[in-house]
Amino acid sequence: MKYRVYASALVALLSSVAASAAGDAAVGRTKADTCMGCHGIVGYANAYPTYRVPRLGGQHPEYIVAALKAYKAGARTHPTMQAQAASMSDQDMADIAAFLSQAQSAEK
Amino acid sequence: MRKFVFLIMIATAGASWAGGNPAAGEQKAATCAACHGPSGVSASGAFPTLAGQHEDYLVVALEQYQAGSRKNPVMAAQAVNLSEQDIADLAAYFSKQKHLYTPKLAR
Repeated sequence: MKYRVYASALVALLSSVAASAAGDAAVGRTKADTCMGCHGIVGYANAYPTYRVPRLGGQHPEYIVAALKAYKAGARTHPTMQAQAASMSDQDMADIAAFLSQAQSAEK
Repeated sequence: MRKFVFLIMIATAGASWAGGNPAAGEQKAATCAACHGPSGVSASGAFPTLAGQHEDYLVVALEQYQAGSRKNPVMAAQAVNLSEQDIADLAAYFSKQKHLYTPKLAR
């Protein structure tokens, strides 16, 4: 009986990890349209201050999700990115991150 | 003549701004490597890969950590002791490594 409790706890733990990690790159591609307006243009620059927007291709999906969550929570500030992240669900973030991390390169 | 001097001033100002030295940056990047990987490709999704990131973006990120406008306890502690030249050198080094790229929508 004790083992059954441990086993079900383990299953619950594993499935929660899987759920939080599961981003669908194909779905993310359709959700990333807005992102690509800046991040998909080679050399695109942020204004005031001027610097090129970060390259996201090949970035860790977990890091992209963490950045989006920080923008949504207001822990990281950038007017445009906060506005974008505000309407994203956790699933949106996971899907978008999955797409960006493994997208083809626009620089080749 | 005055116009000519002015042009020289602009040209040299531009040169000194762009004065990150990747070789010097590599020497200064030993601490960074612990989390971000030896050439800026991190082994864990907890830390961003820096290799191939835009140089000017890396400069702004470090300046924001330094100023406290971007908040991360670990990075704030690292950035606090960096000079402008350190930041320029580190950004030059990591931006010249190959990994990150601009994504495209094509399937």
